[in-house]
Formats: sequence, structure tokens, C-alpha cells
Amino acid sequence: MATTTATLILSSADVTGHNFSMTQTATLTKAASSTGLDEFTGITSRKYPTAQTDTVVVADSIYVDTTVAHKVYIRNTSTGNSDYILVELEGDVIIGRLYPGDWMFIPYGGTLDVQVTTVATNVSIEYGVFSQSTVS
Amino acid sequence: MARTATTTVSFSLSSSDLTSSALNISASQQLKKAGSKLGLSQTTGLAIKTTSYASAPVIDSTVLFRGDDYTADGANKIYLKNLSTIDSEYFTVYLTGSGGTDGGGVTELGRLYAGDWTFFPWNATGGTKETFIATIANTWAAGDTWEFDGIEITAADSTVANIATLIDECQFPNWVTSRSTAAVTFVARYAQDAGTVATATADITVVTAGDGDSVVSSSTLGTKSLSDIYIKPSVHTEMSLEHILIHE
Repeated sequence: MATTTATLILSSADVTGHNFSMTQTATLTKAASSTGLDEFTGITSRKYPTAQTDTVVVADSIYVDTTVAHKVYIRNTSTGNSDYILVELEGDVIIGRLYPGDWMFIPYGGTLDVQVTTVATNVSIEYGVFSQSTVS
Repeated sequence: MARTATTTVSFSLSSSDLTSSALNISASQQLKKAGSKLGLSQTTGLAIKTTSYASAPVIDSTVLFRGDDYTADGANKIYLKNLSTIDSEYFTVYLTGSGGTDGGGVTELGRLYAGDWTFFPWNATGGTKETFIATIANTWAAGDTWEFDGIEITAADSTVANIATLIDECQFPNWVTSRSTAAVTFVARYAQDAGTVATATADITVVTAGDGDSVVSSSTLGTKSLSDIYIKPSVHTEMSLEHILIHE
């Protein structure tokens, strides 16, 4: 059994009227289980020479689905301010925009592809999936 | 001057045995407005939503964030965490989306099991809000009444513009208003898809001694929001979700 931990640290001195800081750590486990996630795609790094439309970065067909606790990590590794990556679920279900430097870490049910759309050329992205091999 | 703030969010992931070599991934960013160097400056604050239902059959979803309430196509960020410590308890996170694969009209993002957290950008794409114009016309008298959306006003005099002003000054539960002379424009507070049924003259109750009326015109049907965030617990007993939205 693998032990994988994901940690989020969020802090700001001025987004509220008081200093704000929190640290959250999760051990990545299979659905309804204390057994760790046992699959990882590795981190894929791509630089798209042209604008992309609904390019699949996570294909649902290769994952078990529904009763699962998969996680998807995506980061816009471009520089600058404006070259965003629009992240969607298959069927034009828009999640949101990752601007340069932005990252996301989401639970993934394995029932729909995860797709990206870009509006600029030479946008860089990295992504990976942490998943479970069987349905719990 | 526009308010700005400096908020930093860092991600790290590590494992000594998921792969044959130790794994470490890290990323850090400052939360900025879309296409800008200015920091996101508004937040809902860190909050907790506790769900509880009488029994399993009556478990339903809860709207956590409505796209209509926030700026669309920006750099909004959402953090959620399931505070449960029972392995089997999860929250399903849904987006309303354009189609919907789960229960008609929503699409599952994924499940947050006990202790899981997520952090993601949120597009906050709202829908179209229904609108219509109610025009106060013909002969009214002091004491006549006008009622809509559970709100009733009583005319103080016979001047139609004054009656329209009374209506515009009301705080309707489901509508906001503006006025031009005797015409009151209603805009729904939230976008929703009402099918083909738009608000009509018959939906407003007028009691008048004369022939005063309140004809509805220029109705525009609404469409549903595409980015509302719903959550649904897996059990009817108490579960808590921690959340924060940092937005444009």
C-alpha cells in the first residue's frame, strides 16, 4: 500500500481584515477506505504550439469509475499574465480558467474526459492523475 | 482605487512508495485577478457547511455557490474539504454545466472522501435572468392594491407613476426592479430555466375600483446557470464541509 500525502497551504495578510493562514494535508486513499491510492500516471508536461480546443488530458476510458477517489492535478506552467487554460469536463462543462502559474487539484469520478482549451500559442501545461486500480 | 490583496497558495504532494523513486511535486502561486498582476481581493471567508437529513431517502443536494453571484470568466478559486473522519463518508461535488449527467442538470466533478480537500478555478458562468416590464396604466384610485411575488402595495393616490414608484421601492424575494415613469422592469435575482413559461399579466393580482391594470410586456425567458456548485452528502447523519471562495 502506498502512502501519498497532498498538502495545501493558503495564506494572506490582507484578503480579510485579519492575517489568514491554513495548512491542510490529506492522505490520498481509495474510496471509502484507508488503503492508499495505488496508481499514478506521472506528470506529463506539454507545450502546445497552437491554440487547443477540447484537448483531452485525462481520458475516462482508462479509469474505473463512480465509487472512486481519483485525483487530477493540472498546472498552467506558462509565464505572463493572460494565457489561460480553460479546464472542462467532457460535454462543455466548464470548471474554470487556470492563468499562468495557477494549479488545481480535484477529485475525479472517472466518468468524463477532462479537457483543456487554450486561446494563445505556446501555452505550457503539466498534469497528472492519482487513481485507484479497482472500485472500492 | 481598486482593492488588492496578496494571497499565496502552495501545493505539495509526496510519496515514498507510490513510485519506485520518491515522489515530490510542488507548486506555489499568488492568487491574481484574470490577466492581471493585481491580487484577488474578495473572499467568502473560511466557512463550514453542515448537512443533516431526517433519513437517507430525503438526502438532497445543496447549492454552495451560485454563478450569478460572482464575476464570470475570471480567476476565482474554490477550496473545499470534507471534515468527516469516517472513511466511507463523502460529499459529491457537482457543477450545473450545460448538459448534466447526474440526476438531470448537474455533472459530477468527483467525490471528496473523509479528509479529502480540493482546490480549483471556478468560472462562475451564470445564466440569463428572466426579465419583464409591468406597466401601471388606466384609472387607479387611492386604496387600490397590486400584488406580486408575495408583496402587496396599496396605492396612495391615483397617479400611475406614483404607484410604479411604490412597486419599485419594494424588496421582492425573487426579483430586483427599476422604474421609468409608470413602467417597472423586473429582473430575476437568479437565473433559471423556466421552460416556456414566462411571467404574464395574469401572475399579478390587481384590485382596483376603476379599470387600472398592470400589463406585462417584454418578457424574456431565463436560462439556467452553468457553473453553480452543488454538494451532496453520502449519509443523512451530520456531515461537514469546509469551504472558501476567493474571487474577483
